[in-house]
Amino acid sequence: MRRRFDLRSVLIALAAPVLAILFSVVVISVVLLAVGDNPFDVFSKMIEYGTQPRTEVLILNSATIYYFSAVAVAIGFKMNLFNIGVDGQYRLAAFAAAVVGGSINLPAPLHVLVILVTAVLVGAMWAGIAAVLRAYRGVSEVISTIMLNFIATGVIAYLLQPGRLAVEVQGSNNIGTEPIPPSGQVPGMAIIPGTESKVYGLAILAVLVGFGYWFLLNRTRFGFDLRATGMSESAAVSSGVDIKRMIVAAMLLSGAVAGLVGMPQLLGSSYSYSLDFPAGLGFTGIAIALLGRNNAVGIAFGALLWGFLDNSAQILDLEGVPKEIVTIMQGTIVLSVVIAYELVRRYRLREQQRLTGQATAEPTGIGPGADEREGAPA
Amino acid sequence: MTTTTPSVELSGITKRFPGVVANRDVNIKAQAGHVHAIVGENGAGKSTLMNILYGLLRPDEGTIHVDGREVSFASPSDAIAAGIGMVHQHFKLADNFTVLENVVLGAEPTRGGRLDFEAARQRITEISQRYGLEVETDALVEELGVGDRQRVEILKVLYRGARILILDEPTAVLVPQEVDELFDALRELKGEGLTVIFISHKLDEVLSVADEITVIRRGTTVTTVEDPRSVTARQLAELMVGSELPVPELRESTVQDRVMLTADGLTLTLPDGRTVLSDVTFSIRSGEILGIAGVEGNGQAELVEAVMGVRRPTSGTVHLGGEDVSHWSTRQRREAGLAYIPEDRTRSALLLEAPLWENRMLGHQTMAPNARGPLLNRGGARADTERIVREYDVRTPSIDVAASALSGGNQQKLIVGREMTGEPQVLVAAHPTRGVDVGAQAAIWEHIRNARAAGLAVLLISADLDELIGMSDRLTVIFRGQLVADFDPRQVTPQQLGSAMTGAGEAA
Ligand SMILES: Nc1ncnc2c1ncn2[C@@H]1O[C@H](COP(=O)(O)OP(=O)(O)OP(=O)(O)O)[C@@H](O)[C@H]1O
Ligand SMILES: [Mg+2]
Repeated sequence: MRRRFDLRSVLIALAAPVLAILFSVVVISVVLLAVGDNPFDVFSKMIEYGTQPRTEVLILNSATIYYFSAVAVAIGFKMNLFNIGVDGQYRLAAFAAAVVGGSINLPAPLHVLVILVTAVLVGAMWAGIAAVLRAYRGVSEVISTIMLNFIATGVIAYLLQPGRLAVEVQGSNNIGTEPIPPSGQVPGMAIIPGTESKVYGLAILAVLVGFGYWFLLNRTRFGFDLRATGMSESAAVSSGVDIKRMIVAAMLLSGAVAGLVGMPQLLGSSYSYSLDFPAGLGFTGIAIALLGRNNAVGIAFGALLWGFLDNSAQILDLEGVPKEIVTIMQGTIVLSVVIAYELVRRYRLREQQRLTGQATAEPTGIGPGADEREGAPA
Repeated sequence: MTTTTPSVELSGITKRFPGVVANRDVNIKAQAGHVHAIVGENGAGKSTLMNILYGLLRPDEGTIHVDGREVSFASPSDAIAAGIGMVHQHFKLADNFTVLENVVLGAEPTRGGRLDFEAARQRITEISQRYGLEVETDALVEELGVGDRQRVEILKVLYRGARILILDEPTAVLVPQEVDELFDALRELKGEGLTVIFISHKLDEVLSVADEITVIRRGTTVTTVEDPRSVTARQLAELMVGSELPVPELRESTVQDRVMLTADGLTLTLPDGRTVLSDVTFSIRSGEILGIAGVEGNGQAELVEAVMGVRRPTSGTVHLGGEDVSHWSTRQRREAGLAYIPEDRTRSALLLEAPLWENRMLGHQTMAPNARGPLLNRGGARADTERIVREYDVRTPSIDVAASALSGGNQQKLIVGREMTGEPQVLVAAHPTRGVDVGAQAAIWEHIRNARAAGLAVLLISADLDELIGMSDRLTVIFRGQLVADFDPRQVTPQQLGSAMTGAGEAA
C-alpha cells in the first residue's frame, strides 16, 4: 500500500515539469507556425541532432557547467537570498584560478587542487562582500551583487591586458592568461560510445557537489538552520539560529560553488581565461534553479534540458530557422513550470480529499462520534 | 424560535482535508443583532467553518445563505462584498506597514485617482472612538503587541463596512480589562444590528456575551443553545469534550533552595529612546513558578526575549543556574536547559510549511534525539514526534503533514510538548495554553505541575488571570516595563490583580 502510494507521488511530482514542457512545446509550435515553419520538422530535427553522440557530449558538458551555477543560486534561494552575483563570482574566480594555475608548476593532482581551491576561495570572497553588507549593514544582496558583477567585469578587463596578466593567444588576435600546463589540466572522459569527444572530467565533481548540497540541506544541523531561516526568520531566531552568521555562511557557500562554474571549461578545454571566456552563466543558473525547484535532482534535470536545448538548437540555423526560438522555449518552460507546480499541487490536494471522503464514507466511520483520524490514507 | 430570516445560515456544510474531515454536515443560523458563539474542542472545525463563510475555503458540500439569499464565495473579496468581515485566529497584518496602511490595504481610499490618507485617518479615528478600539494610526504594526494588533484587525474589518463580523478566538490574547472593552464594543455593534460570530475557548466569556451558542464536536454541530442563561460553563464543557471544567491549581509547594533563573537590573531602551524595560529584577528557584501579570505591551515580550537572548538588554544580567549567561547566544541558553514557549506561535515557534517532525526539531535541532553530532537524527526526531502527538493529544492524521494544517490549539499542544521534552531546567512560557480547549488546558497544566514537582523553574506569562493565580507560586505585576507589585497568589483576587495591572495600585 505504502509503496504504491510512493510510486504515485513520484509520478505526480514528475507531472509538473512534464506538463510545463508540453505546454511550451505547444507555445513554440504556435510561434513556429506563425513564422511559417513546420513545428514537427523543427522538433524532429532538434531531437535527431541532439541525440547524436557528439551532441550528447556537448550537452553533458554544458549541463555540468549549468549545474554548478544553478546549485550556487539554489543555496541562496533556500534562504531567500537572491544571489544575482553568481555571474561575477564565477568570472572573477575563473580568472584568478587561471592566473594562479598558469604561473605555478606542481605535480598533477596538487596543481589541479590548488586551482580549484583558488576558484572556490575567490568565488566565496566575492560573495562574502555582499554577505557582510547584507548581514551587518542591511544592504540588499540583489543590489550589491549586481554592482559586484560590474566591478568584477571591470577588474578583469583591467588586469587582462598585455603587460599585466595577459599574453597573446597563439595564432589569433585574442589575449588571455598564461596557459595552464598539462599538470593542471583535467582530462576528459570518453564515456559516450560512437564519438571521440570527451565529457569534462569535472562532471564527476558536479555530481559530488549535487550530493553534498542535498546532504547538507537535508541531513545536517547546518542545513536545517538554513532551511528554517528561509521558511521563517522569526521562528529561526527563537530556535537559536544566528541569522547574521547564517546569511554570511549561506552566501559564502553559494559563492564557493559559483567559483566552480568556470572550472570545467578552464581545466577541461580552454586552459586559459581569454577575452571570449563564456559570460552570463550565472543568469542561466537562476533559471535552472527555478526550473529544478532548488532540488538537487530537479536541478540536474533542468541543467540537462537546458544543455539539450542550447546545443540541439545549433542545427536550426542550418535549416533556416532562427535558433533564438530556443530562447523563447526556455523562457516559456520556466514560466509554465511555475504554473504547472501550482496546478499539480491543487490536483494532489483534491485527490487526497477524495480519498479521505471515500475512506470516511465507510459505515464504521460515520457519525459525530467517529474519530476523524480513522480515515487517514496519508 | 425566531421567525425572522437569519442573517447568516450555513446548512449541511462538509469540508475534507487530506486525512481529515474538518466539517461534516454543519448547520448554523445566526441572527442580526445577536452575538452567536461557536465553541468546540481543538480541531473541532471552527476555524475551517469560518474560513468557508469568509470565502477562503470552498465547502465540498452544503450551502450558505446571507440575509436569505444563497451565496457562493470564490474568494474573500466576494465575502467582503456581501458584508462579511473576519478577524483570524492568527493575525494577517503586514508587519512593516503602519496601522493606517494596514487598515486601508485592499480598500484604499482615493480621491481623483490619488490615495487619500487623510479621509481614511478620519474614518478610522471615528470608528475607533465609537467602539472604544483605540490604536495609534501611525505606529508600525511590527512594534505593536498582540492586543493592539487585534484591535487593528477589527478596525480593518469595520472600515470595510462589514455587517457580519467573524471573530476567531479574539479574547485569547486579551487581559480581562481588554476583554471587557471588546465586549462593550461588541454590544455596540450588535445594537446597530450587526451580526457577530464569536469563537472562544473561554466558556465564562462565551456565556456572558453570547445570545446563542452552537457547540461543534468532531466537525459536526452537536447542539445550539438558544438561551445561554440556561446552561453553565461546566455543562458547556461537557457538551464540547464530554469532560468537566479544569481548575488551575497547585497543590503543595515544591519550591527548593537552588536558584535557577535570575534577572538582575534588566533595562532595555529602544533606539527611539523609549524605555520598555527598566531595572527588572527577579529570581526563580527550582520547583517554583513565577507568574507575571500585565496588560499586553507593558514589556512582557521584551522581558522574555531578553531572558532568551533573542534581544540584548541595554544593561542588566541574566543568570541561569548560577552561571552568568548574559553574553550567551539563544542557542547556548537553550542547550543549557532553557525551554521557550513564545507568545506568537505562528511567527516564532513554527515553520508552517514544514512537517510536524521537523517542527519538533525546531529550537532543539542541536540536541538529542534530533541530532547526532553535526548530523540530524531523523529517525529519532520522528519517533519522538509520535510520542509528543500521543502524550499531548495533538489531533493530526500524521506527523508528515505541514504545521499549517493543524488547528491553532493543536499547534500549541505540539509546541508545549516539544518544549517540555528533554528535561528542561527552566521554562519560559508565554501564554502556554493560549487557544487550547478546556480539556487540553487541563492536560498542559498537569504536565507543568509534574515538571515543577521534578524541579522545573517556570517564568509564566499569561493573559488568563485564573491561570496565573492558580498556577503561580509567586505573582508579580509588570507595568510600563517595571515590576510594580508582588502578590501572594493564594490571597489575591483577579480584581486586585486587574487594578494593579492598569497602574491603579501605583499610588498605594
Ligand atoms: N489547510 C489544512 N490542511 C489540512 N488539514 C487542515 C487544514 N486546516 C485545518 N485542517 C484540519 O481540520 C481540522 C479542523 O481544524 P480547525 O482549524 O477548523 O479547528 P478549530 O476548531 O478551529 O480548532 P482550534 O480550537 O484548535 O483552533 C483539524 O483536524 C485540522 O488538522
Ligand atoms: Mg481555530
